[in-house]
Amino acid sequence: MKQAGSNNIFSYKYRLKRLRRDSNYWAILTLVLLAFIALPVISIGVKLFAGPGETWGHIVDNLLFDYLGNSLFLILACGTLVLLLGVSSAWLVARFEFPLRKQMEWLLILPLAIPGYIVAYAYAGIFDYGGSFQLLLESIGLEFIRIDMMNKYGLAFVLGISLFPYVYVSSRAFFMNQANSLLEASEMLGVGQVKTFFRLMLPMARPAIVAGLILVLMEVLNDYGAAKYYGVNTFTTGIFRSWFALEEPETAVYLSALLIVIVFTLILLEKFQRRNVQFNSNRSNSKSIDRIKPGRQKRSLIFLVVLIPVFLGFILPVGQLIYWATLTFDKVFNSSFLALSLQSFWIAFLTAFMTVVMAVTLIYFSKWSRMSFIKNVAKLGVLGYAIPGAVIAIGIMIPMISLDKWLISIFDKVLNLDIGLIITGSLVALIYAYVVRFLAVAYNPIESTSLKVSKTIPDSSRILGVGNIRTFFRIEFPLIRTGIASAFILVFIDVLKELPLTLILKPFHVNTLAVKAYEYASDEMVMEAAIPSLFIIITVMLPVIFLNRMLIK
Amino acid sequence: MKRFLFALATLAALTSCKNEKQDEAATSGDSAGEVNVYTHRHYASDQQLFAQFEETTGIKVNVINASADELIQKMTIEGKQSPADVLITVDAGRLTRAKDQGLLQKVDSDILNNTVAAHLKDPGNEWFGLTKRARIIVYAPGRVDSTQLSTYEDLATEKWKDRILVRSSENIYNQSLLASLIVNNGEEAAKEWAEAMVENMARAPKGNDRDQVKAVVAGEGDLAIVNTYYIGNLLNSENPEEVKAGESVKVFFPNQEGRGTHINVSGAGVARYAPNKENAVKFIEFLVSKEAQEVFANSNYEYPVNEEVQPAPLLQSWGEFKEDRLNLSKLGENNKKAVLIFDEAGWK
Repeated sequence: MKQAGSNNIFSYKYRLKRLRRDSNYWAILTLVLLAFIALPVISIGVKLFAGPGETWGHIVDNLLFDYLGNSLFLILACGTLVLLLGVSSAWLVARFEFPLRKQMEWLLILPLAIPGYIVAYAYAGIFDYGGSFQLLLESIGLEFIRIDMMNKYGLAFVLGISLFPYVYVSSRAFFMNQANSLLEASEMLGVGQVKTFFRLMLPMARPAIVAGLILVLMEVLNDYGAAKYYGVNTFTTGIFRSWFALEEPETAVYLSALLIVIVFTLILLEKFQRRNVQFNSNRSNSKSIDRIKPGRQKRSLIFLVVLIPVFLGFILPVGQLIYWATLTFDKVFNSSFLALSLQSFWIAFLTAFMTVVMAVTLIYFSKWSRMSFIKNVAKLGVLGYAIPGAVIAIGIMIPMISLDKWLISIFDKVLNLDIGLIITGSLVALIYAYVVRFLAVAYNPIESTSLKVSKTIPDSSRILGVGNIRTFFRIEFPLIRTGIASAFILVFIDVLKELPLTLILKPFHVNTLAVKAYEYASDEMVMEAAIPSLFIIITVMLPVIFLNRMLIK
Repeated sequence: MKRFLFALATLAALTSCKNEKQDEAATSGDSAGEVNVYTHRHYASDQQLFAQFEETTGIKVNVINASADELIQKMTIEGKQSPADVLITVDAGRLTRAKDQGLLQKVDSDILNNTVAAHLKDPGNEWFGLTKRARIIVYAPGRVDSTQLSTYEDLATEKWKDRILVRSSENIYNQSLLASLIVNNGEEAAKEWAEAMVENMARAPKGNDRDQVKAVVAGEGDLAIVNTYYIGNLLNSENPEEVKAGESVKVFFPNQEGRGTHINVSGAGVARYAPNKENAVKFIEFLVSKEAQEVFANSNYEYPVNEEVQPAPLLQSWGEFKEDRLNLSKLGENNKKAVLIFDEAGWK
């Protein structure tokens, strides 16, 4: 009996022994990196115990219901809109042959190149009094009908039209890669097109569609610029208001915590809907889908249906911006604007580099650690993407300020030197926040390519006595280069578009294109915002097209 | 790992050289003759003024542009190390806030005391107004007769139900207007006013001041509360449709029989830890001088604080008006109260 007891794999002693056996540097380093990533959320959690600010009661009485109602409305309305646009266009593109189909395939992604707040500025301008829409109606002799964009319905439309490509991309991938054999079966059994779509494809594609939808909803909750411009109170605008107008970071922390709860509820719902659904077989269907070639009339109709989201999400807003840019070009475009663009690119570049390094380290450190527990925990690092930028910014400010105060006291005691707050409001804090927020963006493509690398090559390298790090640079790195490249580009794009986090954490002498556009728009100079906006769009557009090529391959 | 360390090193190098630069700005200022300006005003005319100051005095002007809230946060964080010499904001409320947080210092300048009227500066001489703007009523002449208009208080009466356009309570100009009502009429009356105003709004508050004017022109409401210079900006917009909108409304200065129209200022103060205090004072003195005030007056349609300078011809065409001589520091003191009342009244 005694012997059996000591061998009991559930015993505390045995576990400890295993822990000692399996733990190595890499496991510890992985945990350190994770702590680094989790710090903002932890600091918000800790700060909650300090109690809310004095206006918290006031906010609960007068504003919280509004924040909650509007945020939920946006989730529902945007969700519906992106599902309608994203799934229908993905299905038509994947299943039918029609004029300009190939071009449409990537044009449908382009709305992602325009940040939501910029689409919001453009639409406000189009439907403004004296805006393009009125001029158009008057030029063809019609009475002007005002469509008011500046409300929550307009906001839902604007965010939906700029975010639907997430759903489009994820569901198109399913329709193109997984659906073929199912479609054949359905066709052979004589089931009609419409029925096949609703009874078979839609339920089968649900996990893919919902995965895209979740990304959209996170972006919706993250939005600050568009909601602020349209005067809709959401959690994010509430966080800014309580921090800056009411000067109560404590209250902002409480709102942030509530927002995190909403986001994680969404994530849990997604996990829940997926629980039994494991349709997507790993057998990849290499045969590409056979597209139906409909008659001429139907073809043009399909073309038009697919054109609608491209027109509304890209052509129309960009057209408006170009018009504004021609009016304000002389005023805005000068050497200091170019310097600002360069600075913006440089920050995005540096962040992309840091984020990729962080993702690679996290993936490989956890790989090299022997504990499976570490490997699973490492995946938690990607949750930063779910947390809205404003919340991360607050979560980073809190520990940075205490670190600074600690440094000040040390320098004061030891050297009798007043150094001031050196980390808060420096580029370090900003890039740190970006890395936390966009780690998932880099993690996923790198991880998926790293899984494709056969284990045997690095293993044999290690057997031959080459260390982990050298093996990585000599063998694995060249093999996962494409994953790293796309991760780099994706982070670069996201940083360039990012607004709320940048607004809170950017160092003083630093400015970005996104912040510049926001500043113009909030100074009642929305026409002047067009040029920085177009700069962002053009810079983002090129890699988006490039990435689409890679996705199709 | 090597890469990671390398990146960390790069980052460290990057930030440290940034700090060096800041220190340089802070310390070398004394000898080289510099002034570091934190400003919320981003108009092209301001740049022109700064260049003019550099030319006449030889003092170099380093400008940092951001919103006043950010600038105040920044100065708080920088503490004693702050390189800021001068803080410029576009309303008195934020200046008072900066003063309350101990970010400004007292300035003894005969020039400033003689030029800037008592109600347009801090009673403790920590900040001074540079330009004035009035919060006025604009109306559609066909639908509103000017004899119907009288005071801000009157806008809360029954006859204006569903006819008023005004922007959201987020906006500092509205907060200052309500703060002035709190001081003049008491908190209770101010709250009743805000509640009645919400009833009278033609639509839920949205958009900026320019949007309110356009909505009046389009007939969504009959009158709007806006700042004077926005009318000037509309009339001189690059967009011909905005010019049309500006031309189709008339302006009315409320409370002329009583205390006068509510005004606000953009203003400046010397930072508490200013490394170049002397230059900072010189700089603000320059901004209220006749030549600088001419530029302010003619570029952004603001009223000059220097009484020797005439406002822009457009503003003169509206005639002279009586302004509320309430000390503007009261606006800042009552700002938070105003924000809370707005929320309670449901003014979005």
